[in-house]
Amino acid sequence: MRVTRAGGEIVLEFADGESDVLRSLVDQYLEVVGSEVGSDPAHERLFPVAYRDDAPAAEEFTRYTRAGLVDRKAANAAQVSLALDEETVRLSPDAAERWLPLLTDLRLVIADRLGIRADDDEIPDTPAGEVYTWLGHLQESIITLLEES
Amino acid sequence: MQRMAVVAQLVERWLVVPDVAGSSPVGRPNFHNSLPSADADLESEVVVAPDVPWVTIVWNDPVNLMSYVTYVFRTYFGFPKPEAERLMLLVHHEGRAVVATGPREEMERHTEAMHEYGLWATVAKASDG
Repeated sequence: MRVTRAGGEIVLEFADGESDVLRSLVDQYLEVVGSEVGSDPAHERLFPVAYRDDAPAAEEFTRYTRAGLVDRKAANAAQVSLALDEETVRLSPDAAERWLPLLTDLRLVIADRLGIRADDDEIPDTPAGEVYTWLGHLQESIITLLEES
Repeated sequence: MQRMAVVAQLVERWLVVPDVAGSSPVGRPNFHNSLPSADADLESEVVVAPDVPWVTIVWNDPVNLMSYVTYVFRTYFGFPKPEAERLMLLVHHEGRAVVATGPREEMERHTEAMHEYGLWATVAKASDG
């Protein structure tokens, strides 16, 4: 993967298979995000409890915000997935910004699956751990280029 | 990443937990399990004085990059970079930081926005924070 700036655009050049992995993750993410409330432990990270000591207020917050959050997260992910049809992806700064929350959400779900819950939890030396780290590099590279503009 | 083709096979349907694998990708969540009781809600309204400010708190998590947290604080709240970095470091070292203070509805809007960014945010009365 190479992330560069060309003119006003941010250019992502994926190596063999990388965009396939990303597309597969995004498809799976859409299922996770859209699944029934409480049916997936990753929901606790994607949709955190908004009131720590007030369960009724937390439930009401969920009731009023969840559908909108699900819709917006899903719409954003679907847009990113469309862009992945090419091995080289050219993004306007606005489009690149929309990748960042998705990359975080993908890492949140993977972290849940890998049991990463505290700062000193180690990232396992497995393909899944490798993907988790790779997504972080991608996010960091995009942020760096956005901040240069 | 050389091994991506191999990884692609390994991660096939690996994010999706087995019991939700058959559900619709963008199906609506079912809210009927989480309806709060009207009494409990009324109670929480009564004990809160109207002039008590509320806060939005962002909590540390092991996933989000420092650069991303700083980026969110800059772009969403419009903080200058030094302030965004100060708050990010507070989150990182102290475990949490108050990022906004004001009326409850506004703090809930900020919290919802933080959740959209993938940050772990909560709402609280200013006195709790």
